[in-house]
Amino acid sequence: MAQHGGPQQRIFSPLRTALHRFAFILLIFTAFGLMLLGKADTVLIERIRAASADLVSPVMNVISRPAASINELTDKIYNLAHLYEENERLRRENQQLLAWQQAARNLSHENVRLRELARYTNPPALHLVTSRVIADMGGAYAHSVMISAGSRDGVAKGQAVISDEGLVGRVAEAGYQASRVLLITDINSRVPVIVENSRDRAFLSGDNTNRPLLTFLTADAAVAPGDRILTSGHGGAFPPGIPIGVVSSVSENAVRVAPLFRRHQLEYLRVADYGLQGILSEKRIRESQSPVNHNDTQLSPDIPMGVGVVPENPAPENAPATSNAPSNGANP
Amino acid sequence: MKPGVWHRLDVVARGLFPAFSVFVLLLINLLPVSVPLLATASPALALMAVFYWSVNRPDLLTAVAAFLLGLLQDLLMGLPLGVSSLVLLLVQTGSASQGRFFHNKPFSVMWWGFALVAIPAFLVQWLLSSALIEAFLPIKATIISYVLTAALFPIVAWALARAQNSLLRYV
Repeated sequence: MAQHGGPQQRIFSPLRTALHRFAFILLIFTAFGLMLLGKADTVLIERIRAASADLVSPVMNVISRPAASINELTDKIYNLAHLYEENERLRRENQQLLAWQQAARNLSHENVRLRELARYTNPPALHLVTSRVIADMGGAYAHSVMISAGSRDGVAKGQAVISDEGLVGRVAEAGYQASRVLLITDINSRVPVIVENSRDRAFLSGDNTNRPLLTFLTADAAVAPGDRILTSGHGGAFPPGIPIGVVSSVSENAVRVAPLFRRHQLEYLRVADYGLQGILSEKRIRESQSPVNHNDTQLSPDIPMGVGVVPENPAPENAPATSNAPSNGANP
Repeated sequence: MKPGVWHRLDVVARGLFPAFSVFVLLLINLLPVSVPLLATASPALALMAVFYWSVNRPDLLTAVAAFLLGLLQDLLMGLPLGVSSLVLLLVQTGSASQGRFFHNKPFSVMWWGFALVAIPAFLVQWLLSSALIEAFLPIKATIISYVLTAALFPIVAWALARAQNSLLRYV
């Protein structure tokens, strides 16, 4: 273009190239700036993320429905093919469950009587919000899903998200009508857990694989494949006793857990509000970020000698506290 | 004949189509699919579209558009902010400058070109994400994701070529 353009183009063409190059460099720096901002200011980024989830949720709500019906169809075909085996399995499971039902009835009667005896106060009532999965951020870098419920429905950051099988994750950001759920398999997810039989405490740490790790397990902990893992309720993030998964493999340096939910079949999830503040409340995060000592009392930071030592004989009111300290120490 | 307002609006709307197609592919990427493999590693549909448009119509999918679409991807998918922006920006700039190489060549050349370009793109994404999360992300899922992306490129490219022929012939 430049070779058969007028003098104007001969001037502006290099100028435009320079401008393009400048814009490119500016954008690169902006990208790195965003990375730093994402690391530093989590509250602002969180709001923007929640807003962007709100933005696309109406569209995702509509287009995820045909996808769900296609999934249903493939499921139906699969079920037809495996009808006989499935029936056999369910028959066996039903027998076992009937036995468990009997046990559960006995135990619940016993429990009611024991609670009356011990004047047990019931935990706060559970508030559940059921919502549909409208997006799955599948990929190698993040394990999260988007659900069609937000602060409008009472969903707040940090609440536990459970499926029929067990714990799925927690609410990472709550928008007005959509929220993002961080799955327990995500690399940023840490859940305080307990081994059902041995009552050993540990953390379930995701690493973006389908089998999260059991970390901070004590050296003498007895964990074997097949052990069930439950939430422990420590830290106030999740209520205790929600099933999470089953220990799938135990090796020298890693204990891995198979979660109970199957990610590709997540369709409806329940967000559970247990009335717990959680360790993720914004107030607490802000408190932990600014440990500034204001020293409102205007006293010197050094603690004078003898403070906190209770004198045996009540001293006269105008006597200095320091004078009592040696005599108190000398007394047997 | 002087072009009217509607004609100009039509041209602008058609010019926005490439960026819009990347956005639609981003949303398709987010659809919950009940295939076990896709839950752990999904093809990067937006990357394919950004490559396609930067090679064929770099004037319609600019560097700024690629940057903003990457930012949207990071926000929606819960990825560390700025990483996809950088990757899509680099792919856009790199492919747009080499776009002439692919003109009047068979499609297989473009496919190979994309498979080559996607390797550094995935590597940068993996490295930067790992650095920002401060832990090594599983490389296996990244490799599966790359293979899926490279294998599914012809389908996306075919659909985009159809759209280009019908919508952008005179734009």
